[in-house]
Formats: sequence, structure tokens, C-alpha cells
Amino acid sequence: MRYRTQLYLMLAPFLVGMIILVIIPAAGSLIVAFFDYSPLNPNNFHWVGLGQFALLTRDPLFWTALGNSLLYTLGSVPLRLVGALGLALLLERRRRGISFYRAAAYLPTIIPDVAYALVWLWIFNPLFGPINQVLRSLHMPTQSWIVDVGGARSIVITMAAWQVGEGLVVMLAGLRDIPPDLHDAALVDGAGFWARLRLVTLPMIAPTFLLLLFRDTIVSLQDNFAPALLVTKGGPHYATLFLPLKIYFDAFQDFRFGYGAAIIWVLYGVTALIVFIQYITTRRWSEAAYE
Amino acid sequence: MNKSARDDGRRTTDDGRLEASGPNLQPPVRNLSSTVHRPSSIVWHALALFLSVLFLLPLASMFVGSLRLPGLPPPRGIEWLPNPLAWGNYVSVFQVVELGRYALNTLAVEVLAVPTTLLVASWAGFALDQLQPRLARRIIGASLLLLLLPETALWVSRFILYKYAGLLNTPFALAAPSLLGTTPLYMLIFYWTYRRVARETWEAARLDGSGAFRMWWALGVPAARAAFAAVGILTFVYYWREFNEPLLYIQTIGKYTLSVGLAYLEQLDPTNWPLLMAGSVVITLPLVVVFLIAQPFFLEPLDRPRPAKEEANE
Repeated sequence: MRYRTQLYLMLAPFLVGMIILVIIPAAGSLIVAFFDYSPLNPNNFHWVGLGQFALLTRDPLFWTALGNSLLYTLGSVPLRLVGALGLALLLERRRRGISFYRAAAYLPTIIPDVAYALVWLWIFNPLFGPINQVLRSLHMPTQSWIVDVGGARSIVITMAAWQVGEGLVVMLAGLRDIPPDLHDAALVDGAGFWARLRLVTLPMIAPTFLLLLFRDTIVSLQDNFAPALLVTKGGPHYATLFLPLKIYFDAFQDFRFGYGAAIIWVLYGVTALIVFIQYITTRRWSEAAYE
Repeated sequence: MNKSARDDGRRTTDDGRLEASGPNLQPPVRNLSSTVHRPSSIVWHALALFLSVLFLLPLASMFVGSLRLPGLPPPRGIEWLPNPLAWGNYVSVFQVVELGRYALNTLAVEVLAVPTTLLVASWAGFALDQLQPRLARRIIGASLLLLLLPETALWVSRFILYKYAGLLNTPFALAAPSLLGTTPLYMLIFYWTYRRVARETWEAARLDGSGAFRMWWALGVPAARAAFAAVGILTFVYYWREFNEPLLYIQTIGKYTLSVGLAYLEQLDPTNWPLLMAGSVVITLPLVVVFLIAQPFFLEPLDRPRPAKEEANE
């Protein structure tokens, strides 16, 4: 018995940490949405029911941010998934130089967000940036990327597409777990590259692919705060104002904690809804892999 | 013709797998075919090289940009390397903002966070492995669900919590997530590692009457050396990169970490690109070094087949 008590003691820090730093804060944020609360005036803490949500429906910037977040997710998730799978298929084979190629593909993923944002601002800089340098030397018209609605959105999506290192590692692990016999059997049957991709690789990697689909969807909806704040600052004309950035502006610049918390509810709801729809529509697809 | 060349490429993979598990299993004929350079191999290298150049573009532009003399007019053609090379940018960036101080602040967070994370995550992973499987499954399931929570959901309440605990503007606020092992994933890495240790090892030690802490120290730590290294590196990188939390919970300029310090430099001098790029190189370089050292350990095991699972006593 003493052994088990000691085990619970070893588990305790983790559980206490989860409760104090995740569960209570998360519950707290969700509750604050029903109050009018600002840290500037902490004594004025009163119940407003669904008042914040009612305000939300009349806030045009909220709808802009919601639309932008959905657009960003729609643009970046397929790009990241197909990119990671394509890279993994390319870099799966043990060949000369494979370590170099894999390292190169992973490297953008480790650059800290601020440095990553700054370097893309530099790359797309209208006067000095390498992209316009190339366009100029080819005598093609240069662009002022960052002040253009479409340009700013493409930059943010490009930034996401370049950071696929984690997806690549997960896909490589998934490809490794496909039994080689399956490929050998397909080869014996005379299946070419595309036939094996469609009949062996894709069905076998479907569960990994789905896992990444859910994860990338969540990340795209919830974790694009740094690029939006640092690269485009939500602009131009709110074209890159995403929900996390909207929460930051409302809660930490205008100090409307209750209002920010109401948007957190929406963000959580939207994420859960999208992941649920993805799960329902792809369930049969992933079950097929186990047959 | 094209098809057969591709099929040979496929065999190379199989050769690699056989090589990893035991070279003597390799049929000599296959070995020959894999060393012959086929057109597909050249195409493959060209494609891989092209993609590598694309992926290395951000780091390369960062470095080249950091060497321009501030105030120079835009280049007329493509500037492969600036002339003159302004290495002095790396000196001035430390003078314009206190990057050295921010580096120390970041290291203070690391010193608090990395050991705490290792201790909490390995204890929790060890305990979950030793406790009843049903309890372990429930706790793991709950932790994974909590990973779905938007990080934004934690900002406001953590701010209030740290404010009343007097932790705002201290490295303790930034290192606080290490109290839960930084992320439940790190606990899971340890749990999976301990899962693979044969049950008999633990049973034998328990017959000796060792307590749980002694077991963890004497058997658990040596059995999970690779997990300690991996989680240690991941944790270091996590806190080094962290931007949102220091932005929210540190409001004194002298207490900034490197990430926020670089964002601050951008506010001070938003058009001095050479300096901004030099600062970016300074905060990125340590991670590149760590990555290159760690890379063989986490990218190359992907070439080996997954070790056969130890069936747990469930």
C-alpha cells in the first residue's frame, strides 16, 4: 500500500499543475464571459448573462475575424497536410543526403515566432526584400505585398505552409509503420507508383493523416496569434484580424476581459464543431484502413 | 521504363530497412541495383535540393539581411551577399536593446522550467505506468481533451492568477507551466517509454521492497535516458521560443525575454532591417545549434522499423 501512496505522490504535481494552471483558468475564462469585468476597475464585477454575446453579434469586427479565421484555416490546413505528406513520401527513402534534406525541411519550424515574422516581413519587403529583388531583375512588376489584402493573407498562409516540420516527422513515422510486405505484394502484382500510393500508402496512412488534420485545424484556428500580431497587425483593413488576435485586442488592449472571454467561447465552439464535422465525415475513411 | 525505375527506388527503402535490422539478410542482387544511379535518382535529388533551397530561404535571407550596412539604398539586382559585410550589426543590436540581459532572463526561465518539467513529467509518466491501467487511461484521455483548449482561454485567467500571486514580471510566471510538465505530451513520452520496459524488471525490484521514489531513481531514470534527453531538449526549445506568455505577463522592459525583446526592438526601430535580422539571427542560432545536435536522435530513428511492442499486462 505504501508503494501505491508514493505513486500518487509522484502523480500529484502533474495533477495539481493541471488543475491550477489549466482547468481552473479555462473554467474561469468561460465564466468571466457572463460578467462585465475589467482589471482597470476590478470592483465593478457584475453579472450580465448573455449580454456579452449579444454585443458580439452586433460587432462587425467579430464577424470579420470569424470569417478570416475560417478562410485562413481553409487555406493553410490543406496546404500543410498535402505538403507534409508529399515531403514525407519524398524523404522517406534512405538515400545519400537524406539527413540534410530532412533537416532543411524541418529548420523553418524551429525559428522563434518573432524572428520568423520579422524574416518574412523582410522577404516580402517592397524595397529591399529578396522577392521583389528577383522580380525586379526579371523586369517583372514588383508588389507591395503587405499593404494589399490578398498579399497580406497569402503571406500569413505561406508562413504556415513553411512550418511543416512536425507534420513531416509524424508522417514519416506513419509511413515507417506500413508493413513492407504490403508494398512487396503490390509490386508482385505489378502495381506502379500511383497505384501503390492509392491502394497501399494512402489507406494505411489515413489514421495519421486524420490526426494531423485535427491537430492542424486546431492550431490554425487557435494558434495564429503571433504572425497576425507581428507581421500584419491584423491589417490591412482587418484582412488578417483572426479570432485570437481579436481576443488579445479586446482583453489586453481595451481591458474588456468579459468580452474577450465571450469570443473564447465562440472560438472553442467553432473549433469543436469543425473537428466534429471532420470526424463524422472521415470516420468511415479511417475505419476502412483497419479492415 | 519509368515504372521499373520507380520500383527500384522503392526497393532502396526496403534495403535500408533490412540494413537497419541486419545487413546479412540483404540479398546481393538488390544491393547492386540500389547503388546504380538511375535517372529517377537524379530527378529525386534535384527535387529534394530544390525544396531544401525553398525551406532554407528564411534562414538564408535572415543571415544575408543581417550583414547589410544600415541605411544603404535598395540593391538594383539580386544581392547574394551585401558589400561591405556589416558584421558590426551584431555589436549594435546588443547596444540598441539589452539583448544580453534578455538572454539572461530567458536562461533564468530555462533553469527553472527544464528541471521542473523533467521531474514532474517523468514522475507522472512513471506513476501512471505503475498504477492501474484504467486510471492511467482516464487521466491520459482527460489530458488529451484539455490539449484541445485554446491557449487564448488561459490568458485572461492566468493573468489574474499571476497578478494576485505576485508573479507578474517574474520568471516564475513564465516557468509556471513546467509545474504540469509544460504540456501533457511530455508526460506521455515518459509514460510510453516506461510502458516498453518489461514488467518483470519492476516486479523484481518491488520484491526487494523498494519504495516508488527509489524505484524511479534506480530503474526509471536509467531506463528513460533517451526520453529525458528528448523532453529536456523539447522543453528548452519551448521556453526559448515562447512569445505569447512573456508578452502578457512581463510588463517591465528590463525583465523581457529574448522573444519579446526582439519584438520591442521592432517597435523602437521598425525600418532598421539589418539590425532586426541580426537580432533574429541571435535568437535563432542557439535553436539551430540545438537542432543540429539533436537531429540524428529524432529524424534518423524514423528509418528503423518500430520496435515490437511489449505486451503490457492489461
